[in-house]
Amino acid sequence: MNEPTDTKQKDDDQIIEKAKALFDDSVDSLDAATLSRLNQGRHRALAELQRASSVGPWLRWLPATGIAAAALLAVMVMRGPDGVDTIEGPATASDFEMLLEEDSLDMLEELEFYYWLEASDLEANGNVG
Amino acid sequence: MTSPWSQEGLINGFCRQADMESLQMTAHTGLFAVSCSREHSTGTKTLQREQQLNQFLAGVERRALRMAEIAVRDRDDALDLVQEAMIKLARNYAARPSAEWAPLFFRILQNGIRDWHRRQKVRNRVMVWFGRSTSDDDYDVTANVPDPAGRTPDEQLQTNEAMQHLEIAVLKLPNRQREAFMLRTFQGLDVAATATAMGCSDGSVKTHYSRAIHSLRETLGEHWQ
Repeated sequence: MNEPTDTKQKDDDQIIEKAKALFDDSVDSLDAATLSRLNQGRHRALAELQRASSVGPWLRWLPATGIAAAALLAVMVMRGPDGVDTIEGPATASDFEMLLEEDSLDMLEELEFYYWLEASDLEANGNVG
Repeated sequence: MTSPWSQEGLINGFCRQADMESLQMTAHTGLFAVSCSREHSTGTKTLQREQQLNQFLAGVERRALRMAEIAVRDRDDALDLVQEAMIKLARNYAARPSAEWAPLFFRILQNGIRDWHRRQKVRNRVMVWFGRSTSDDDYDVTANVPDPAGRTPDEQLQTNEAMQHLEIAVLKLPNRQREAFMLRTFQGLDVAATATAMGCSDGSVKTHYSRAIHSLRETLGEHWQ
């Protein structure tokens, strides 16, 4: 009953064995030029390892140190030399709010109207004056 | 209580200062010694790791090359792929336990082979557009199998033909089946390591491997009788 399964398994084992033997043979038969190129490639990889280790552990923190320094500089600029805020937070925030408001965009679209309005005001004042 | 300005006080003060300086010098010497010892220890570790990695790469490079060559059917491209995998392993995973290197290395290599196939597909499309053939029929498997020592030309021819049939049959397998077959049979990785190298579960490896063997039996059966 198990005979076909056993035969199949035997065939599979034979195929695996033969494939492995052929592959090993082709590996052992690699020519000197190819082996030399493999050797060169390996040494390039090892040089990469040496380069990575020569960088030193402290230099690995370089990006984080850079970010921290930039943040510190930003704080110093904002605080000013006397420790007083040179940039007013609320005013800056309100400027941003104004810029982001939809109305301000509408205003940009109707600039000509505002120029005309301003000119009319000046004219009226001139007449009065 | 002794006044600090009295003779006794000055002498005591001087002695205390001398002790402090001596203590500081000892501390500096100690720090220097610890620093040197650490550097020496790190250097030794790096050297050991480098030797281990060299040994590992020397052990897998030939098989890796042949596997890549079977997959891409070009020795120069296969050499590039193996070198790239070696560099990536050294750069990113050298600090990992050496037991993990084999699956990691073959995972990098398999990813490289997959990328190569993607690039080839794009290249083929472009070449077809310009009306140029990109067939790899000019690749001669036997040309890349040098003369093995101690065999008659007939034996050598038979071996080359058998290898040619095997390579063609393996190449015809779907990618995942080919990967599973080559890693398990050619490289001798176990199921778990093959799963890591392929980035899939143990069950998937078993399925792909079993299907690959079944396909190869069907394809090679008549040639290998």
